[in-house]
This record gives sequence, C-alpha cells and structure tokens, in this order.
Amino acid sequence: MRDPFPATARGQRPQRLTTARIGLYAFLLIAALFFLLPAYVMIVTSFKSMGEIRSAQIFSLPQMLDWSYWLEAWSSACAGVNCNGVSVGFWNSVKITVPATILSVLLGAVTGYALSFWKPPGSKLLFAAITIGGFIPLQIFLFPMVRATAALGLYNSLAGIVLVHVVFGLPLTTLLFRNYYAAIPVELFKAARVDGAGFWRIFYALMLPLSLPMLVVAGLMQMTGIWNDFLLGLVFAGRDNLPMTVQLNNIVTTTTGQREYNVHMAATVLTALVPLVAYFVSGRWFVRGITAGSVKG
Amino acid sequence: MVDQSGARTTASPPGRSKVTGRLRLPVAAMAALTPAWLIILLVYLGTTVWTVQISLTKSRMLPSSEFAGLSQYQRLFGTARWSNSIENVLTFGVVYVLGAMVVGLLLAIAIDRRVRFESAWRTMFLYPYALSFIVTGLMWQWLMNPEIGIQATARAAGLGWFTFDWTTRSDMAIYAVALAGIWQSAGLVMVLMLAGLRGIDADLWRATRIEGIPMWRTYLTIVLPQLGPSVATAFMLLTMGAVRTFDLVVALTNGGPGQSTEVPAKFIMDSLFARQDLGLATAGATVMLFTVMAVTIPILYARDIWTRRQNGRL
Amino acid sequence: MRLLLPSLTALLLVSTAQAQDLTAEVAHSWTSGGEAAAVKVISDAFTARGGTWVDWSVAGFESANAAYISRLLAGDPPTAKTAVAGPEVTELIAQGLMNDIDTAFHAAVPDGVVPQVVLDAITMDGKVYMAPTGMHAGSWMFYSMPVFEKAGITEAPTSWDEFFAAMDKIKAAGLVPIAWGGQSWQEGIVFHAVVLSTIGAEAFTKLYKDSDLSVIDTPEFAEAVNVFGRMRDYVDAGAPGRNWNDATAMVIRDEAGVQLLSDFIKGEFTTAGETPGIDYGCALTPSTDSLIFLADAFTFPKTGNADEDKAQALLAEAVLDPRVQADFSALKGSLPIRTDVDTSGLDACAQTAIELVKQDKIVPDAAMTLSPAINGGFKDAVGAFFADPAMTSEAFIEQYKAAFANG
Repeated sequence: MRDPFPATARGQRPQRLTTARIGLYAFLLIAALFFLLPAYVMIVTSFKSMGEIRSAQIFSLPQMLDWSYWLEAWSSACAGVNCNGVSVGFWNSVKITVPATILSVLLGAVTGYALSFWKPPGSKLLFAAITIGGFIPLQIFLFPMVRATAALGLYNSLAGIVLVHVVFGLPLTTLLFRNYYAAIPVELFKAARVDGAGFWRIFYALMLPLSLPMLVVAGLMQMTGIWNDFLLGLVFAGRDNLPMTVQLNNIVTTTTGQREYNVHMAATVLTALVPLVAYFVSGRWFVRGITAGSVKG
Repeated sequence: MVDQSGARTTASPPGRSKVTGRLRLPVAAMAALTPAWLIILLVYLGTTVWTVQISLTKSRMLPSSEFAGLSQYQRLFGTARWSNSIENVLTFGVVYVLGAMVVGLLLAIAIDRRVRFESAWRTMFLYPYALSFIVTGLMWQWLMNPEIGIQATARAAGLGWFTFDWTTRSDMAIYAVALAGIWQSAGLVMVLMLAGLRGIDADLWRATRIEGIPMWRTYLTIVLPQLGPSVATAFMLLTMGAVRTFDLVVALTNGGPGQSTEVPAKFIMDSLFARQDLGLATAGATVMLFTVMAVTIPILYARDIWTRRQNGRL
Repeated sequence: MRLLLPSLTALLLVSTAQAQDLTAEVAHSWTSGGEAAAVKVISDAFTARGGTWVDWSVAGFESANAAYISRLLAGDPPTAKTAVAGPEVTELIAQGLMNDIDTAFHAAVPDGVVPQVVLDAITMDGKVYMAPTGMHAGSWMFYSMPVFEKAGITEAPTSWDEFFAAMDKIKAAGLVPIAWGGQSWQEGIVFHAVVLSTIGAEAFTKLYKDSDLSVIDTPEFAEAVNVFGRMRDYVDAGAPGRNWNDATAMVIRDEAGVQLLSDFIKGEFTTAGETPGIDYGCALTPSTDSLIFLADAFTFPKTGNADEDKAQALLAEAVLDPRVQADFSALKGSLPIRTDVDTSGLDACAQTAIELVKQDKIVPDAAMTLSPAINGGFKDAVGAFFADPAMTSEAFIEQYKAAFANG
C-alpha cells in the first residue's frame, strides 16, 4: 500500500554541487528577489517617518527602527472619529471567517462529491452554471443580494454575511473538489457501493477522510478570500460585525485626505497576519493536499 | 490503498454513469445538491435575470422600472472606454494567465528538485496572495515609477541605459498590470503545480534517467501531460480572476495612462457606484456574462464529449 | 415604484429599533488625518447639544456609495450622510427618500449669509435639503518659493504666457516645472480650472449649469484645450498614475515648481511644517478671477422615525453653527459656507478665497450641477487626451461633448 501523502519531493535525486544546481539556486534567488521586492519596500517604509518617506529614496533603510507606526496601526490609527487601529475588527473577522470557511468548504465538498460520483439528473447543467458563476464580478450581485437578505431578515447580521460568503464561495470550492474527486479512482467508490454504503455514509466514512488534505487547501483559499474581503463585510455584516478590513480600508484609502504611508504599510501587514500564519503553519498540508488529489492525475 | 481497491473491482464495467444508471434515482445525492441548486437558481440566475431586466431600464442611482429599450446598450457601445476595456482585458488575460502558469510551474519545478529550506521558498512565493492589494498595488506603483523606482535606482547606480517605465506608457501599462498580477498569483499556481509534481511516480524519473532522456524533454513531454488536473484547476482559477480583475488595476494605474488599463469589471464598478449609472453597469455586466457563456459552454461541452469518448474507448 | 423602493413598513420596522432620543448614525468618508479631526468638530458640537453621535465611516467614494445605496435599498438608511451638494442627491430627493431641513436651516442661518449659488445647490422645490459643511476651491496653483527663486521667477504668473515662460525657466534650472498627479480625476480638476480661465465665469456657468454646448465651440474653449495640452511638456516621466500627495511632496521637497489642484492639498504642506508665504505660495490659476467651488453637505434620509427626524434637525443646526463652520474649515482646509463667520483663524490662501466668496466671484464645480455619469465622461475624455499627445483637439472636444449626451 503506497503512502498517498509522500512528504518529500520526488524530483531527480540531487547530485553534488553541479552547475545545474548552482543555476537552480540562482533562479530561485532571482525569483525571490522579484517576489520580495514589494515586501521589502513595504517593511522599510513602515519604519520611516513621513518626512523621511518624502525625502528619502524608496529602497533606503530607515534611519532607526521605530515601531511606533506599527503600534499606531494596531491600536490607535484613526478612521473617522474612532481611533482604535485595525485591532477593532479582529474578532469580528474571526467570527465571520471561521463559520463561513467551514460551511463553504463543506458545501463545496458535498457538491463536488455528488457531481463527481452520483451525477443525478441535471448535474452537468449545474456544474456548467456554477462554473459560469465564477466569472461574474461580485459587485453586480450586491443590490439583489441586499434585497434578498433583507427579505430573509438576515441583512446586517452575522448569519447574513456568512451566508453571502458561502454563496459566493460556491464556484471556487465546487471546482476544487470536483477536480479533486475526479482524480480519485472510481473503483474505490464502486467498492463502497457494493458494500452497501449510501450517499452520506460514503461521503462521511470514505470521501471526507480521503479529502482531508483538499479540505485544508480549499479551507486556506476560502479563508484568505473571506478574511481579505472588505466590500461584502461592509455591506452585509452590519455595524456591530464589521470585519477588520473595513477598518483597514478606512485607514488606507483616501482620495483627498493625507496619506500616512508608514501606518498604511504596517496596518496592511498586520491585517494579513492571520492568513500569513495559516500558510506557514499549514504549508505542509497545503502541498500534500493537492498531492493526494493528483495521485492518479 | 488506491491500487488495491482498483484491483478489487476491475471486473465491473468502467465508467461511472453505468454505476449510477443501474440504480434508482440517487435521492440523497439530489438532496445534497439542493443547496447548490438553490444558490444557482435563486442567487446566480436570479441576479442574472435582475441584471438583464435593469439593463433595459433608465436606472441611475437606484433601480427603476422605467423601460428604456436597448438604449443602455447603445450608450455602452458608444463609449470608447468600454471597447478599450474589452481589448485591455484580453491582452491582460492572456499575459496574466500564461505568465502566472509559466512562472508558477517553473517555481514548482525548481522547488521540487529537492532544494534546501523548501518551506521558506514556498512561503516567499505565496505571501503576495495574502496581502490586500490596496497597499501592495501602491508598492508596485512606486517600483515601476521611472522617477523613484527600479529605473531610477538602476540609473543612479550607473546603468544609464536601464529603462523600466511601463506604467507611464499607454502601450505598455497593461503589461505592468499583468506583471503585478503574476506576482500576486504565481505562488498559488506554484502550490497547485508542486502538488501535481509530487504525485508523479518516482519510477518514472528513474526510467527517464536510465533511458537518458534529457531533463527538459522529460518535463515537457512526460511531466506536463501528467499535471492535467492541476493545470486545469489553475487555468480556471486564473481565468476567472482575469475576467473579474478590478482592484489590481485600481491600485496600480487606476485605468491610466488615459484608458490604457481600463477593464470591464472596473467599468462596471465605476458605473455602479461612482457614476450612479446602474443601467449602464448592468448592460456592461450582461454583455460580459453572455460573452463568458458563449466561450465557456462550448468548451465544457467539448470536454464532456471528449471524456465520454475516452471512457467509451477504455 | 413599489418594486423599487422599500416599503414604508420596512422602513419603520428596521429603524425604530435603532434610535432612541437624539441618536444619529452619521455616514461619512472623512477618515484620514485632518478630515477626521474636522468631523470631530461636528460630532463634538452635536454631542454638546445633547445628541449621541454614532460614527459610520467608510473611506473611498465607491465603497461608501455601495454601502449607502445598499442600506437605502434594505430600508435601513443612516441618519445622515455626507455628499457633494448636487445631482448626487437630487435623485434621492426626487424619489422621496430624503427629509428636508428647511425649518432647521432657516432657524440657524440668517438670510443673505450663504451665497446664492450655494443656496441653489442645496435647495429643491423651494426647500433646503442639505446642510453644507464647507466648500473646496478647485482653481488653485501652489508653488515652491525656493524653486521660483532658483529659477529666477519673482512673482506668481498671472497669465498663461507668463506661466509657460516661468515653467521654461524652471525647466532650464533642471527642475520639474509642474508636479503632476496623472490620475484622471486630478486632471479633470486642472482642466476645468483652465477652462474657467479662458472662457470666464459667465460662460463657465452657462456650460456646466445650463448645459449650453455652444460654449464648447467657442475659440475660448479651444484655447483652454490648447493650454491644457501644452502642460504635457512640463511634467516628468513619473506623472502617470501619481497620487496627488506624492505630487505635493515634490513641491515640498523643492524638486518641482507648481502643483495645480484644489485647496485640499494645503494640509499636506502644513503637516510637512511648511509656512505659506515662506516655503510655498498659493495663487489662483493664471488669468482667473473666480473660484470653482465644490460644497460638501450633510444629507438626511427619511428613516420613518420621529426621534431621528429630531436628531437630523439638531445635526443640521450643529453643522451650520458659525463656530463649527470656522473650526471645521480650518482643519479640513476648506472654506466656510457662511460669509458671517469669524475666519481670522484661517491661513493666507483661505483669506484670498474668502474675499472672492464675499464678492460672489464663485462658480459651482461641474460635480454640483451635472450628473456623476457626465462628470465621469469628462474625466475619461480629459485623461485620454492628456495621456495621448497624438490625440487632436478636435477628437478630444468631440469626446468631451459626447459626455454630455452619454450621461
């Protein structure tokens, strides 16, 4: 029985330090330079005073390591008459992101599973519709969705914003899981059918454990999307549940007002900390997840 | 596990349709798809109907029912910005999707060659995906600004010939947007591809080495075809992203210089909320939606026929 | 209409829960630095009068509008919302969604202290619907004194010939003549300032208030296009897409000579520790004798709640208070809407502007008279023209005219 989750890379075995190896690392280094350049400018800017930002060159190192802008971004940056930094919406973001991520991933898993293995009448039509749905700009949904949630009594509520995220997450999660299940040998499913297992039992006892890695992958993607969402949270969550990104937007966005770049940079990084930590912690699963999915790709 | 169960059932006829076809209607499966159906019918289809309906009215700031015929479409196609937007999103889409796929794949291949500190590299390439583009867009704006960015630094260092001024040139700005888009999404592709690569049998590598096939050919002719599902998933995700691109442009060029980086999603957003022109916005969205359908449905259909034929041959 | 507007019952149901006594939920987009401090002046005045201020701030025009219209559609509007006094609000008034504040306005403001053009903008069907907080003037030129000195320019140019001669001198001195923010909304402000300078206040009003397109065909308008186009030769390569504050920073660093824009950029000089008259100067755009003004105002949606109606009246009273008007403008960098307030606390540039307001030498910005769609069309045309030196004046004028028709 082969381990479906090989932990290590499977490329050719590394040789000694050949020209090819040097070239490989050179490529990675150049790529890293490209990827890290904006982050570098962001970080150095977050430590500079506005005077320094105005006068110094964008790549130059800050004159001193001044953490005050980070502190300000977290707890005292003003947005309107409230000066509480981005920390204000942190728990709201958690309260929105956790249930919305879990629900939308489960819905995607069940839908993908039913579409891949059971194919009840209309499955192809449904999948085509879901795929096309993935192309529609979210903004166009706004007004009809407002009407709908208001009619359901869910407007301005936590349940409302969670529902909205689940609805908009459907194309992505379904796509991920359907492609994932398409790669799982159908014989596995048939064997379970022969053993007399029903729809939910197969899902629960066979598919869910098998797709644990994909659950993590889809979960991370949905989590990033929902955590970073600003417009939907602003419109549907209600004043008591506004996510952190609303505060970030209020701090960072302005047309005719002053821009405190140092605080903006810090606030942006701070707001992204949760997804960043999640990538770090779950990095292994992230990769393994898709690995298992394409065992028989 | 996988191989075993596969062996156990080789006697039964292949093709899933036959399995389900033999049974009664899968009631539980239909019940399980009910939420998806409800979402599709009520939200996605409902919104589409609403959008088309509003596009036939004189709606300005608020939805109105005053019928306007096709005049919004007339306005739409009479607006230079809309046709520019369509052109731009095509250029952007091709460069962005291909670029992110190629960069993502190269990164995945490089990382897969047993490099040291793999997770560090991976995180480095993936982090842009987690950051709000409002500010990272400004970073790219600075970096690509010829007066303060990379060009200025290179020239100050004595490389007087060095030029990198895409964002300021109408003919190149859309590529600058694509570049920032690639920066943001390549990591995601990398992760998807890396996983695909890890699924390829180790024996395959051994075999190609014994046969003495050059590495680049191994990748091109043997590895790449095996990555099918990963490539398809990444391609779909990127294409959806390209069509919906909005914040990338707003943060980086705001559509300029001139209208050289305007895109349809931004046109719709501007019309919706800034210009209080709901009728025009919905007309734009309708055109976009039907274009996507006109492209997607034949592809899905063709794929379906192809899969069925393959199964038939097996 | 039943389909389109939330039923009154829904309005009542949602909003009764929200307000007790004099609580006002105030929607605004003034979230950064001086703007937020200015809002605080109003909220303090409102609180001092016994109200309770609930802040609902959303930065960014598009997001704020998206959220606001959503709340209107859901039948859950805030008590008050800031807006540009003009067509942005008139549709809502026409739909019967807004409360007027006529009584509160006239109780707070004696006749004759608010300029007629402003009054026209906030009045519909004989009733005042908006409480203006202040106005921004868009036809300004800010310049770096050290750069002018270095280039040998002794006085701020008062005609376009002088202006371009001065710009040539700055160029010759190896500096950037115009600190240009290459975003179409900024370019739109500059273009309209140029238009005012060549066609004059009367024609300006005829064109943008009465939509008299014949003005566009005059040689004076063509001259404006010409002047505007010439500016391309005096901007640096990094101009496209530049934020206005990054452009201002160039003037502050004394790397660029002038920046043409609205008075809101003054705050940037102030926070950088610059003093008007020593480090930087301000003047009207060349050959101009009037201001293009843009008034911001509070607007008041119908909430169906009598307590909230009272809170709205109280808020209007607070906004229109002379002291509040002066303090708000000092922080926001705007001008008070009333001519009878003590403006001695405002800076030298503002004093020039206040004189013009008193002499009625002000014209409303196109954003106050024409729909956002038309204004959007202007920006598209102006942005395209400035970015493309190959675009002919005729082609531009045609596109600019089309904005009227298409809006």
